Amino acid sequence: MITKVSHVAFFVIDQQKAYDFYVTTLGFKVNTDVTMDNGFRWLTVSPPEQPDLEITLIQPLAGNMMGYDEETRNAFRILLEKGAMGAGVLYTPDCRATYEELKAKGVQFKGEPKEQFYGIEAIISDGVGNWFSMTQPTGGQPAKP
Amino acid sequence: MPIAPDVYKKIVIAKLYMDENFYESIDLDRISREACLSRYHFHRLFTRIYRRTPHQYLTYKRVEQARQWLADKDLSVSEICNNVGFESIGSFSVLFKKEIGYAPQYYRNQAWLKKQQALAQPRKFIPHCFIETCLKA
Repeated sequence: MITKVSHVAFFVIDQQKAYDFYVTTLGFKVNTDVTMDNGFRWLTVSPPEQPDLEITLIQPLAGNMMGYDEETRNAFRILLEKGAMGAGVLYTPDCRATYEELKAKGVQFKGEPKEQFYGIEAIISDGVGNWFSMTQPTGGQPAKP
Repeated sequence: MPIAPDVYKKIVIAKLYMDENFYESIDLDRISREACLSRYHFHRLFTRIYRRTPHQYLTYKRVEQARQWLADKDLSVSEICNNVGFESIGSFSVLFKKEIGYAPQYYRNQAWLKKQQALAQPRKFIPHCFIETCLKA
């Protein structure tokens, strides 16, 4: 029986810029940051209130660390440069406040927060290839199963 | 009742000010006045938005910075306590333990051990499937 997701990968175009965004700007916590002899950096971060979920920030274009062939690497490059890789929802207890705060820090959004039937939502870019829904769910708490 | 957009901005500006100046003595009355809100309304709105009172948030910021410095900086626990804005090592230790779950020195020792292990045996921290992929590459 699978009961939890422990690791999830975000592919990013630049690992250090991803660190700056997720750790410095969003305030995620570094869980693991180790570098192997061949230069492969294993960097995982966790949302402040979700320490048991490790988000692995993977840079698929760095050298040939992930063993992808040229065609795959090009496909990643195209998708990351378009910012087309994101698929997820980042929970916030107050979308409008978080939007104002992150906008003041220079984070890119697709428009202002909007009321949706499921909550208040803004679409946020991590600046390294991914877009996410940043949502304050109706009722104020993350959806429960 | 919804919060007006200009009030949101005032609260966020105050919060960002706290983020940048938490290590100093912060007068929450003054921050309320600069936000053009009464102390009562500032406290109520800040707590509604951030789920912590302004004072609790300030403590959280200080403890978080202390946590990072304990792991990364070669400063004594007392120096870190003072540098993040606590006036007494006693209250710092109590609040740190309450927020993080460990005493400052114990947390520092564990962080140091993890760092040494990561340097000596990085593979222990990486799921095996990724190591296989990386070594094949």
